[in-house]
Amino acid sequence: MFKFLKEKITNWTKKISKEKEPEKEEKKKVVIKQKEEKEPGFFKKITEKVGKIKVSEKEFEAYGEELKMLLLENNVAFEIADKIIESLKEEIIGKEFLKKEIEFEIKECLKRIIENILVEPFNIVEKIKEKNSDQPKEPYVILFAGINGTGKTTTIAKIANYLKNSGFSCVLAAADTFRAASIEQIKKHGERLKMQVIAQQYGADPAAVGFDAIQYARKNFVNVVLIDTAGRMHTSKNLIKEIEKISRVCKPDLKFFIGEAITGNDIVEQVKSFDWAINIDGIILTKADVDERGGTILSVGHVTKKPIIFLGTGQEYDKIEPFNKNKFLKELGL
Amino acid sequence: MFEKLGEILRKVTDKVANAIFLDKDLVDSIIKDLQRALIEADVNIMLVKQLSDKIRKIAVDERIKGIEKKEHILKILHDELENILGEYKQLKIKREKNQQNRIMLLGLYGSGKTTTIAKLGNYFAKRGQKVALVGLDTHRPAAPEQLKQLAEEHKISYFIDLFEKNPAKVWKKVKDKLKDYNLILIDTAGRHTLDKVLIAEIKALEKEIKPTEIILVIPADIGQAAKKQAQEFKEVTDISGVIITRMDSTAKGGGALTACAETKAPVYFIATGEKINDLEEFNPKSFLARLLGRGDLEALLEKIRSVTDEKSQKKIQTKISEGKLSLEDVIEQVKSMNSLGGFDKIKSMIPGFSKIKEKIPESVLENQETRISKWEHIIKSMTQHEKENPEILEKQTSRIQRIAKGAGVPTSEVRSLLKQYRLLNDMVKSGGNLEMSQGLSQKQLQKFARKFGKKLRF
Repeated sequence: MFKFLKEKITNWTKKISKEKEPEKEEKKKVVIKQKEEKEPGFFKKITEKVGKIKVSEKEFEAYGEELKMLLLENNVAFEIADKIIESLKEEIIGKEFLKKEIEFEIKECLKRIIENILVEPFNIVEKIKEKNSDQPKEPYVILFAGINGTGKTTTIAKIANYLKNSGFSCVLAAADTFRAASIEQIKKHGERLKMQVIAQQYGADPAAVGFDAIQYARKNFVNVVLIDTAGRMHTSKNLIKEIEKISRVCKPDLKFFIGEAITGNDIVEQVKSFDWAINIDGIILTKADVDERGGTILSVGHVTKKPIIFLGTGQEYDKIEPFNKNKFLKELGL
Repeated sequence: MFEKLGEILRKVTDKVANAIFLDKDLVDSIIKDLQRALIEADVNIMLVKQLSDKIRKIAVDERIKGIEKKEHILKILHDELENILGEYKQLKIKREKNQQNRIMLLGLYGSGKTTTIAKLGNYFAKRGQKVALVGLDTHRPAAPEQLKQLAEEHKISYFIDLFEKNPAKVWKKVKDKLKDYNLILIDTAGRHTLDKVLIAEIKALEKEIKPTEIILVIPADIGQAAKKQAQEFKEVTDISGVIITRMDSTAKGGGALTACAETKAPVYFIATGEKINDLEEFNPKSFLARLLGRGDLEALLEKIRSVTDEKSQKKIQTKISEGKLSLEDVIEQVKSMNSLGGFDKIKSMIPGFSKIKEKIPESVLENQETRISKWEHIIKSMTQHEKENPEILEKQTSRIQRIAKGAGVPTSEVRSLLKQYRLLNDMVKSGGNLEMSQGLSQKQLQKFARKFGKKLRF
């Protein structure tokens, strides 16, 4: 995963070092000896070029523009790419660095910025345990929302499986009462996972289905209720109102937004609308295995200041990964 | 859809057109606006760079002077955008007797294949084809059921197998039953990434089915990954065209559209909503016209044609020419307007609408459906005489009160319906020869739109 973005950064930086080579051949050789092969040349170049003492604003502008294009190409939304460059600029310009340390410093800066963008994910298992010990009779309710076709139902099945393996009992609420065969779909998942599915007929009030499922969980001492909702476009006001109502009636302990890792700039609008409507607690990005670009992660993280909890990476039940910030940074080569 | 992008493009063109002198600062700011708009629309970065380079080159070219330069820039902008959108190609259904058209749909998970199949089926069934849907998505739970429910709802024939897990076997089973149909639409399982197993499956299916068209379904909000997707699919099979779904979101489809243009796969349709009629033929030229706020009459008329059948259209026409429109006709008209997806969906097709948009309160444009169902109740509470001559209700408070009670709505609701009726009647009279089937002139529609803007206050 994210190989693409890493590769791009490395390639780009190498390109810059090559372009500038004739100017400072002698210095370059020295630098190359000092650095390990793995380290991207971009940092090397900035090191040399400005290694003497400072980075001037003009110099930074040229590098910044290229870094921006590179981020954009990797699906980072426009405003977020802008923000990253801006923060990097603030950190670097005018500061004095030792020649040897500047590469490391710039890397650290970039790492800090990205670290700031991403919120530390919480552990869902811990959260459920907490509530269970506080209020043993109350089920932990999780609501899933998102636009059409992002894989809500599949993700719910995966998470149900994940929670089951962590020792919780689950019940699924088929609150997608709109799309054709959605109830059959979640029922099949329920059969395979041996879980109860609470459903009504098509066209029923989704909030009522969720409420029923919670009632069922209370009576039967089930730990977790997972509510599947219909996919809705964030542009449709009535449907956004509907999800607001579901959230109001079911009072979920946790509200997930489910988006696709391959979505472009639009993910910003999507996640904003849902966050505004139901104040989401966490984000799940599906289809993370489809493409190597990791930009969407930065985009949603920055816009909402909410943590990314899971990444969906395949079609089987076990293809879901808890998101790990440090691992992500490592994969980016930072 | 596309409101933001269109706005910026319009601003850019206005800026160029209104500039007295094109100096470097102006050109730079224009290019910056343009770049931002296009990148935010997920248009491939390389294409954006190329476009801005071209504009800059012309802007600094000393040989082209003054006004000419402006026109040149506008033309380049227009041409390049058209280029980005790709070529216009129609999905042709062959009518020969022994020729069965078999269209297979491929795509990623959750891009909307099954929904699109139902829309396509409905689209062609309305145009007189004998359509059958075949569900070969045997992987996703309840996929065949979804196709079944959609097909039954819209009265399209379908063939599925709930138990067989091998799509090729399903095809063999149903093959013989398909003889009576001339258009077969085939739903396949969603793909994730293309691995060898899936490629083998696609190839096997292709060999077995021998489709006349293979269509790739891509969602509009896909980002810079679009190109790679399109290329990969194109390498594996002979993709003959593309349908782009989810065009109704804030997404601009730039990623999907440019990917198609680059891989030389024409976009046949765009899907713009959840309802069955939310499918539009894609024509880059008129699409661009809409984007730039010039409206698209052809698409509008095509849409109107697609939801009304000829008979009822003629009936209305004679009534209009007689100058007598009953309330029931009004409802009939508004209803068919609604099955277009409401005014919200078609407004971008009306020329000049983007300019008067601000004058219309948003509440007018949305929520037509609940209002119309109320109107239906109101009309049902009227006597036959009242229905045919709504004029007699004017200023007859007792009648209005009776109707309101019967329908369970406040009297204001009844009055607003009457007002609406008057409005439409006036329009019909002043419009005179409003011949929908032969198309409206640009002027007529603009007048129509302006009237809407002024009078349509509920």
